[in-house]
Amino acid sequence: MSYWPAATQERARAIIARYPQRRSAVMPLLYLAMAEDGYLTEQGMTEVAAWCGITEAQVQAVASFYTMYKRERTGKYLVSCCTSISCMLLGGDDVLHAIEDESGVPHGETDDEGLVSVEHVECIGACGGAVAVQVNYETIEGVTPDKARSLVRWLKDARPEVVNCDEMQGLFGGRQSFDWAIREEAGAVGPFPAFQPLGTVGDEGKP
Amino acid sequence: MTTPQPTPEMVTITIDGVEKQVPSGELLIQAAQDHGTYIPRFCWHERMKPVGMCRMCLVQVETPRGPAIITACTNTVADGMVVDTLNHDVKKAQEAILEFLLANHPLDCPVCDKGGECPLQDQAFAYGPGESRFVEIKRTFEKPIPISDLVFLDRERCILCARCTRFSDEISGDPLIEFKERANQTEINTFPDLPFSSYFSGNTVQICPVGALTAKPYRFKARPWDLVKVESSSLFDTAHPRIEVHASHNQVLRYTGVDNPETNHGWLSDKARFGFEYLDSEHRLTKPLVRREGDFEEVSWREALEIVANRLDLIKGEDGGGALAVIGGAQGTNEDAYALSKFARVVLGTNNIDCRTDQALSSHLLAATADRATIDDLDTADTILVWGPDLKEEYPTLYLRVRRAAQELGVRLIVIHPRRTGLDDRASLKLQYRPGGGFGLLEEIMAGEHPELGEMLTGRVVALIGAANLADDPKLAESVAAYIRQTAIQARLLPLISRANSYGALDMGVAPNLFPGRVAVDSAGAGALMAVWGDVPSKPGRDTGSMLEGLESGDIRALLLVGADPVGDFPDHRLAAEALESAEYLISIDTFIHDSNQHADVILPAATLTESEGTITNCEGRVQKVNQVKPAPGQARSDRAALSDIASLMGFELGLGTAEIAAKEITAVAPAYAGITWDSLDWEHRNGVIVPEGGSQPLTYIPVVLSGNRPPQAQLTLHTSRVMYDFGIRLRHSPSLAGLGPGPVAHINPGDAPGLGVRQGASVHLVTTTGEGEFSAVIDDGTPPGVVYVPLNQRGATKLGTDPVVRVTVVK
Amino acid sequence: MSQLVVTRRMVENPADSHTLDRYLSTGGYDQVRRAMDLSREQLVEEVKASGLLGRGGAGFSAGLKWSFLAQPRPSYLVVNADESEPGTFKDRQLLERDPHQMIEGIIIASIANEVRHAFIYIRGEYSKPARRVQTAVDEAYAAGYLGKGIFGSDHDLEVTIHLGAGAYICGEETALLNSLEGFRGEPRLKPPYFPAAKGLYMAPTIVNNVETVSNLPHVLSMGAAGFAGISDSTDTGTFMMCLSGHVRKPGNYELPHGITWRRLIYEVGGGIKGDKALKAWIPGGASAPWFVPEHHLDLEITAAATAGAGSMLGSGAVIVMDEDTCMVRAAERIVRFFAHESCGQCTPCREGTTWLEMILRRIEEGSGRAVDLDLLIDVSDGISIGLGWPPKMTTICPLGPSAVSPIKALKDYFRDEVDRHVELGHCPFGESTHTSGEEE
Ligand SMILES: Cc1cc2nc3c(=O)[nH]c(=O)nc-3n(C[C@H](O)[C@H](O)[C@H](O)COP(=O)(O)O)c2cc1C
Ligand code: SF4
Ligand code: FES
Repeated sequence: MSYWPAATQERARAIIARYPQRRSAVMPLLYLAMAEDGYLTEQGMTEVAAWCGITEAQVQAVASFYTMYKRERTGKYLVSCCTSISCMLLGGDDVLHAIEDESGVPHGETDDEGLVSVEHVECIGACGGAVAVQVNYETIEGVTPDKARSLVRWLKDARPEVVNCDEMQGLFGGRQSFDWAIREEAGAVGPFPAFQPLGTVGDEGKP
Repeated sequence: MTTPQPTPEMVTITIDGVEKQVPSGELLIQAAQDHGTYIPRFCWHERMKPVGMCRMCLVQVETPRGPAIITACTNTVADGMVVDTLNHDVKKAQEAILEFLLANHPLDCPVCDKGGECPLQDQAFAYGPGESRFVEIKRTFEKPIPISDLVFLDRERCILCARCTRFSDEISGDPLIEFKERANQTEINTFPDLPFSSYFSGNTVQICPVGALTAKPYRFKARPWDLVKVESSSLFDTAHPRIEVHASHNQVLRYTGVDNPETNHGWLSDKARFGFEYLDSEHRLTKPLVRREGDFEEVSWREALEIVANRLDLIKGEDGGGALAVIGGAQGTNEDAYALSKFARVVLGTNNIDCRTDQALSSHLLAATADRATIDDLDTADTILVWGPDLKEEYPTLYLRVRRAAQELGVRLIVIHPRRTGLDDRASLKLQYRPGGGFGLLEEIMAGEHPELGEMLTGRVVALIGAANLADDPKLAESVAAYIRQTAIQARLLPLISRANSYGALDMGVAPNLFPGRVAVDSAGAGALMAVWGDVPSKPGRDTGSMLEGLESGDIRALLLVGADPVGDFPDHRLAAEALESAEYLISIDTFIHDSNQHADVILPAATLTESEGTITNCEGRVQKVNQVKPAPGQARSDRAALSDIASLMGFELGLGTAEIAAKEITAVAPAYAGITWDSLDWEHRNGVIVPEGGSQPLTYIPVVLSGNRPPQAQLTLHTSRVMYDFGIRLRHSPSLAGLGPGPVAHINPGDAPGLGVRQGASVHLVTTTGEGEFSAVIDDGTPPGVVYVPLNQRGATKLGTDPVVRVTVVK
Repeated sequence: MSQLVVTRRMVENPADSHTLDRYLSTGGYDQVRRAMDLSREQLVEEVKASGLLGRGGAGFSAGLKWSFLAQPRPSYLVVNADESEPGTFKDRQLLERDPHQMIEGIIIASIANEVRHAFIYIRGEYSKPARRVQTAVDEAYAAGYLGKGIFGSDHDLEVTIHLGAGAYICGEETALLNSLEGFRGEPRLKPPYFPAAKGLYMAPTIVNNVETVSNLPHVLSMGAAGFAGISDSTDTGTFMMCLSGHVRKPGNYELPHGITWRRLIYEVGGGIKGDKALKAWIPGGASAPWFVPEHHLDLEITAAATAGAGSMLGSGAVIVMDEDTCMVRAAERIVRFFAHESCGQCTPCREGTTWLEMILRRIEEGSGRAVDLDLLIDVSDGISIGLGWPPKMTTICPLGPSAVSPIKALKDYFRDEVDRHVELGHCPFGESTHTSGEEE
């Protein structure tokens, strides 16, 4: 008695088929549930429990272990600012303050409109391009407080359907950890990773 | 009869400079403990897999790479291992761990139920660093939250040892309580709106090393140090799990599980653990009652006894013992049952006596299963077959042991039951049949239609056989047993009946065809008994069903009910009710008034478990001692005492002055019980002694006209069976448990629901030829299509009887 | 400069190093056929002989690990792409820029270890790398390099990409396996010491890092000796160094082993920004004990030399801190990381790391007490007895003891700086941090 649309159920089946054991599909299915409801709802966890043949409590135990499964209402744009050691050394805290100030959203919270959520995160593997920021897990490197402010303004004004790392790097980024070389159009459509098997990849501005 | 485990080879290890011989492969913490070195621990529990999480058990061992600090609970001993449990690094580690654990602990010991018996408190005292240097703000959580009807969780006290989560996952198989969040925010919790509703939740309270999990029935009731404690066994479970009874000021406050390695491994069902409140219920009968002008009147024992004795004398004189009958005797000790058995034969001169009020199995099967299986046989079996009740609902200890065998020891499990059972997730093979269709399935199996089953029934087979369904003909179980016996040569059988001390009562001859020691009434063996009992009737008497018919027809005039409620238990409840109504004279010895004795002429108040001592016999024939911790309320007395007095008023001396005298006489007259003394049970045989079965007779497959047993395919078939929590008289008077039953519900398969126009929670009207009533519908895919499942004997539920054909209509 | 191995293709063909065409046109997938002609024993020997060390942090010989593989087969292969050690970003580049190189490595490792199903565990925040790898995997399936009967052989190989979801601890191989099985990412008990004995679904399993696997095609193409010959130091092959912090030219650099830290920081990294003085650096990711100029600048960058000095090369992440860096603040940031990433199952890690973080924050915020440094050291002592390296752990896994490294640095080199905080009642370096990472 799944509440997921047929297409999502189809994906769920395909994902489960990629693993030798059903329970292994818990993590990808939790992403599916997030993509379905915008964040991870109790209903979503109950659904995943049924698909994986384990109890809701067991699903919750897994979901609550990881930081990327948002169990509270999350904005269309999740802005994550790295303040781990390498980024901290190069002004990570200042960039975070700039984002909080410009968006009016303290880290760990979401604006009333449900547009922007702000969080500070631990190292996201862009230390060579500190300070690093992600929007819906699309990375921007070499961010300064000023560029961070314009990023927030852009998100609020342009409200892109799809956020893409290369585009944002061009607009708001600076020094990179390494030469990215190839430009891509694909991007994220919500506060969860854009990844083909999850059906969460958006293209050329369209989801 | 357990197949002996091979003794493991021994290895030599050195603990704190002293060499020890220990079994290879054993956990270091266990090996050390067995040799007098106690290594502190919190998360380790000998009945669960080690997780090495609390880190309290750190010790130092020598390794090729120099000394290393390891956890004694996760490392097994190896020959030549050199262990140091005392050096500086180990002490440093232990102090650090304790300081870490206490850093965020509320230290609210004065108001904590665990205070006085708290491992954290004790070890902080023994190994702790003194006062804490933690000056930061402690982690806080909402103070105790109820996580089920019986259990509260205080997350501030929790030390995250995972005992509760491991128990519910590994042992009881319902992982409803789990870890949540991560790092310093980690907590234990349930899923929102999904309580920790496990039949075994109380065990987590007992094994929680702090006061994080507490039990509603005894929160704040008492402090451990002013408790009186005696060891005993629970009668809420026919495996008779070992318990410790804790009382204070003549009131029983709690039971805790005791680890009997041969039965319960320390675990108890919540029913066995919390089913003590009825003992001190204000509804307990405390004075003899006599009916006068329709109402009960309190009278003195003397008066009541005389009335009873005179009446029994009169009837016996007019129509002989055949006009007298006895039902019950399964709720008390063997000594009480023996007294009843002797009373019926010697004083009443009748064999009309039966303890099986539900008549689920024939006494022939119960008495004749030579080579009966022991519970420990489950561990060494190749295949376990469960054809009968859902063990999780009716046989909690067996359920846990079967689950363990299948899950941890890799034993093949076959489950045969009309619907989903608590063991299905562990079964290698599950067969379902329509209620009443058991014979059909058995015929198919015998005709080789289920080869996979045949293949599994090889090697050491342990078969647990009982009635899956109220409607099952008792002959089915016996036929299954006969089939197993001839198919699997090494098969051991364990017949299942769920009444408290039924096995003991049968051993005491509380059956129409058996004398003490399971000696057939009409067999030569009975002769020995005559020497002690004198001349007693030598042809089998009438069983419960036949006695009830006798009462209705009037050829039985008086009935003595002893701790029995046929109206509640006998499958044909109408017959039972009418029979008791029409009984000329009805005497009841009991602890409460109930459906069956409310019309009695005389009721005598009885003592019960914890109020008298004696022995009981569990499903595998294990005799254990139960002990007294408090006096019976008011003037209530043991069955034995009451019966002895009636006897002497009728001119007979039972000669059973005390329970211990009765016990001695039992060992003399019941061959199987020879040599079982209270002394041995109190000391060297605390875990009990298994008595050999009585005379074994061949089991016979009793072909039954199948047409009668094939449920008509067209209609819906009714499946009724017992569940853990019913409206039984003891639960009814145990407030904490009384509300836990499902109530009047009817389970219907999702596929059938639309056709019947039934929705979840809808109230439906069920009609059979033997009863009808309203139930609330539960849409349940565990109930197969074409079947309506109704849990037996629920509060507010009308009885539907045994007719398998049921009609369902929605109540508008 | 020196010879490039795993980054060569992307340096020479920046525009399309990630495509199948480019990969094939530069000798891609040739080594699979070589591998198929060799026996398991020969392959394990070859990798052993090459001296290839694991690049995930533990630096354990890849070939030796393979040789531990238990029965029964088939076994599993898991590529560890959870790269989360602060300061580390090399795997991200390998995943994004040359995914087929890793896939070829996976195929080689699978042939050597009788693997029928391989998993690539990519941290959830790496969505772009994950997309690139997924595309490459799809291409490989289409080309018949993966799936049933790969390259026309009778060897089947499925590859599943598994996305993490934000948990550093899942980089620890046994936690990773639990995560992959659908459980909380909690490290498993040791023994068994290697998943090669009991791993995924309790089957023998090889876990290797992205860089390790990406080296495999080159081990075969150069031959063990050739590969070993790249570096003239005790450690063979090349080593990807992730430079970050106060250097002029942060970034990934593939280097041969054996150069000195001085060369790495002042030549490769272009020296300290604004020509400030070097105060300290972390040689191998946030877990590693710190180095300081006075003692360590001229040490050779080899596993042995680094271990000799009481630290490790770990994941190859070098985090450089200049004279204006507050050591208490830096320490707090690293300890905060480990406290936040602790799985929470064992007491000393769960409670100890958080306690350390609280004390450090108090000191940094000005309410430190004279006793606090000793308290820090003593709490650390309860997590990593004696504060030695490698640590004498009271924990289940090395995460907890990693949090002790910064405390060790404070204890050994920066006591006075801690005391200044306590005396002043505030941070001597003031509130504001360094300004953001623009080119000068
Ligand atoms: C706390 C912790 C975190 C780790 N994180 C990673 C990681 O992000 N990536 C990685 O490849 N190895 C990581 N490792 C090392 C792995 O446990 C494992 O040794 C490695 O993946 C084996 O691959 P290799 O032999 O090719 O290096 C980590 C270890 C620990 C103790
Ligand atoms: S509630 Fe008790 S048993 Fe459960 S984890 Fe906490 S301390 Fe252990
Ligand atoms: S008892 Fe060994 S770690 Fe808890």
